[in-house]
Amino acid sequence: MSGVSYLAIAPELILTAGAVVVLMVDVFARPPARVHGWLLSVTYALVAIAIGFQWRRIDIDGAGVSFGGTLLLNHLSVTVRAILLVVAVLGTAAAWRMLVGLRRRAAEGIALVLVATVGFMLMGASADLVMTFVALEVGSIALYVLAGIMRSSPAGDEAAMKYFLLGAFASAIFIYGGALVYAATGSTNLGEIAAFLSAVHVARPAVLLIGVGLIVVGLGFKVTAAPFHSWAPDVYQGAPSGVVGFMAAVAKIGGFAALINILTRGFERYSGAWGDGLALVAAVSVILGTLLAIQQSDVRRMLAYSGVAHAGFILTGLAAGLVAGSGVLFYLATYSVMLVGAFAAVTAVSGQANTGSTFEEYRGLARRSPVVAAVLATLMIAMSGMPLTTGFIGKFQVFTSAWDGGYEWLVITGLLASVAAFFFYLRLVVVMYFRGDEGEATTLVVARSIRWVLVASAGVSVVLGVFPGPLLDVLNRVGA
Amino acid sequence: MTGFSTLTALILVPVAGAVVVMLVPERRRELVRPLGVVLSLLPVPLAAGLFLAFERGEAGFQFVERAVWIERLGVGWHLGVDGISLLLVLLTTVLVPVALAASGGIDHRVRLFVAMNLLLEAGLIGVFLSLDLFLFFVFFEAILIPMAFIIGIWGSENRIYAAVKFFLYTALGSALMLAGIIALALIHREQVGEISFSYLGMLDLDLGLNTQRWLFGAFVVAFAIKVPVFPLHTWLPDAHVEAPTAGSVLLAGVLLKLGTYGLLRFNLPLFPEATLDFVPLLATLAVVGVIYGAVVAIVQPDLKKLVAYSSVSHLGFIVLGTFALTSQSLEGSVVQMINHGLTTGALFLLVGILYERRHTKAIADFGGLASSMPVFAGLFLFIAFASIGLPGLNGFVGEFLILVGSYPTLPVYTVLAATGVILAAVYLLWAYERVFTGEITAPANRQVSDLSIGETLVFVPLVALIIVLGVYPKVALDVIGPSTDAVLERVEATTGYTAPEPGGTHVVASGSGE
Repeated sequence: MSGVSYLAIAPELILTAGAVVVLMVDVFARPPARVHGWLLSVTYALVAIAIGFQWRRIDIDGAGVSFGGTLLLNHLSVTVRAILLVVAVLGTAAAWRMLVGLRRRAAEGIALVLVATVGFMLMGASADLVMTFVALEVGSIALYVLAGIMRSSPAGDEAAMKYFLLGAFASAIFIYGGALVYAATGSTNLGEIAAFLSAVHVARPAVLLIGVGLIVVGLGFKVTAAPFHSWAPDVYQGAPSGVVGFMAAVAKIGGFAALINILTRGFERYSGAWGDGLALVAAVSVILGTLLAIQQSDVRRMLAYSGVAHAGFILTGLAAGLVAGSGVLFYLATYSVMLVGAFAAVTAVSGQANTGSTFEEYRGLARRSPVVAAVLATLMIAMSGMPLTTGFIGKFQVFTSAWDGGYEWLVITGLLASVAAFFFYLRLVVVMYFRGDEGEATTLVVARSIRWVLVASAGVSVVLGVFPGPLLDVLNRVGA
Repeated sequence: MTGFSTLTALILVPVAGAVVVMLVPERRRELVRPLGVVLSLLPVPLAAGLFLAFERGEAGFQFVERAVWIERLGVGWHLGVDGISLLLVLLTTVLVPVALAASGGIDHRVRLFVAMNLLLEAGLIGVFLSLDLFLFFVFFEAILIPMAFIIGIWGSENRIYAAVKFFLYTALGSALMLAGIIALALIHREQVGEISFSYLGMLDLDLGLNTQRWLFGAFVVAFAIKVPVFPLHTWLPDAHVEAPTAGSVLLAGVLLKLGTYGLLRFNLPLFPEATLDFVPLLATLAVVGVIYGAVVAIVQPDLKKLVAYSSVSHLGFIVLGTFALTSQSLEGSVVQMINHGLTTGALFLLVGILYERRHTKAIADFGGLASSMPVFAGLFLFIAFASIGLPGLNGFVGEFLILVGSYPTLPVYTVLAATGVILAAVYLLWAYERVFTGEITAPANRQVSDLSIGETLVFVPLVALIIVLGVYPKVALDVIGPSTDAVLERVEATTGYTAPEPGGTHVVASGSGE
């Protein structure tokens, strides 16, 4: 079981190969962007097929580990890959015009997107703290570079630098936590840690708990949980708008996947302790994220802070022990789609390369571009958790399991914060629809690739919001 | 009515209508509103069919449809109609075409306007028909969006403030209710073994008094904000005054009833013991609302605000009747929900027409209008009489039943609330005097045109229903009675409470028109 299974890393291999091919072709042939587009499409298609094979294999042979017990091949890891693939496809489509606009460095950008996806996919499959760290770095470093890929933009440089420094700091905290866990248990492998903890009574668990706490803090940075979120608004605001949605979503998916793996596989025994800890972080995230989002005058910063609140909602589900069940993954998957869609709309409104996007830019958008306005309104409504959208189904599951798990106070906090959150989600709708009736409206021209992302993300948010059954059925099998 | 899912159709037909309207090409925009009116008429025969086929004397739910919606979450597409909801559905289907027909003044983004009204209709009907608490919540919450759009886009100057206030206020209420619904579903799982949101399943749960109190509280806040019960009413004047006419009509006509309907449908049957505990509080707030709303209405300088505050007063009666817990008071409450929808809807239409002609709603700007628009004045007086509760018109039946029914259990409250009837006469008739009688003072009022044929036609269904319900209320009471009695029996069966026997007054009330 713990030999070498190439199927276990087939999607990552394909993505890496895709990145190399894109770079090499670019060096030798300098093809037009269209060729890169084809290469990318083929890569994604192959990854999808590989993921399908992985799922089949697990159905037949059951879950397993390979590469010396460092990589999991289970429903969870495959689901995380699938979510990341969807986000990558939507994200590259949304960023396509920006990537093409990089001209000579377009291939670099594409390769970075692919490498980042590899990193976060591995985070979801990792069964070893060292492996998680390596995966985290692969993904994160690609994102740091991506944030600063528009060299001409000072704001982009600042965002990249800030992201890098704080991200490196978070990685250091994570690996320090891993070291403490190693000191306490003698292993970095999650399976061995769990075996050690169930066999040995840890008389003074301080080192262990501090270690776990630091791991949570390190990953908390990646998923923008408060109070470890401070980098997010600056980075979301400063990085080129085309890639922000992708950057934000994949880091969250990878971070949460790693959190689920580590806490359930390695430290299930201490679930009571980390449950309360996560609940506290969840409450702080939900409250702080919501309150700070209300004050923003920039849509991208608002989305960053709302992302903090959403991280809190996902943690609410995790704290309650809905760990590998469908609720958290449903939330993560559907929120990621909303996030990419929302930033695609931001890109449509304020341009590919632009940094910042004030509410004022959205004034009367319903007249300038009914489609973008309708999509953005739908996504805001979905993010706010109104019924008939995926946002509601996600929140509903998270709250139900939290209530069930005895965290009634957290549910009430979350519900009240959701009401307060209407304030800023609605604000965008107000600006787009209720204002700007006066004067001539100039039609907003939206690139085809972005329009595609917009319609897809809003469509998914509504269709799966009305009929979540099939996705819930699939995700429910992850629990095993 | 088997085979064809009338109830589902009632919800989906308006949704389909909204889609159709949005597909009308921009260059044929003049077709949009007529098309909207036609589309909004489609649910009327469906609802009328329900009314005719409805089994009188039957207390339970009829035309029940049940399908699995989200299996894994235990959510069902579970619809049914009983005596409490049937007339509210009918009212909704009647008021939406009326509201759309009266919206000739809407001149921009007409497609979106019509679509939002139709979506609102679907949501409102869905709320009344849902027998699954999850489904109920989905509709209850979903209607906020079209309503906020209607206020926010087509309202008057302060529309954005009003729309956001309306949205946040009501969303706050429903947030707590969601917690209550989740808690109920989990209790259902604990006691029955599977998670479920079925209303009928919830009725069988064994809830301790303390649990009931908490859950009652969670639900009552949501509904009290919707009603609105004093002191949670502050969103209402803003929303009513700023909303376009169609918005005000549907807001007052139907939306407020979601609150009183919710109290009757959920709070009383699901938490009967807690209900008894809460009677003093809610009866007090109801009476305060009756008097406060009326007093504030008297001093309003703005005609639309006057009608808005009169709603606070009238809805207070309904809440009083609900918590008086007698056969007649509950019956009266439901009748009064319908009555208020018809009369206040009509009053908002009239105020809207007046505003379109004169671009002012200030009472002081009018005077002597009866000479320039006699038909309009006559209609206004007629509706005002209905609203005041003149015998022979619908308002009388409802208020009389509520007062007679409430007196045995809540005598002091009832006596106090009865002053509201007098105050209603004061504010409406005084408003009539200032607006319509005397000499014309402002020259602009001299040329105001009277109601056109088309405008008059819009009022025909409302006036007809006002008279029918006033003269022959039996047609409504036969439907309502068994279901409200069932609610009362349930409260009696699960608590030590016994409602006073309905006296001879009941016969007088329902026999008055026979």
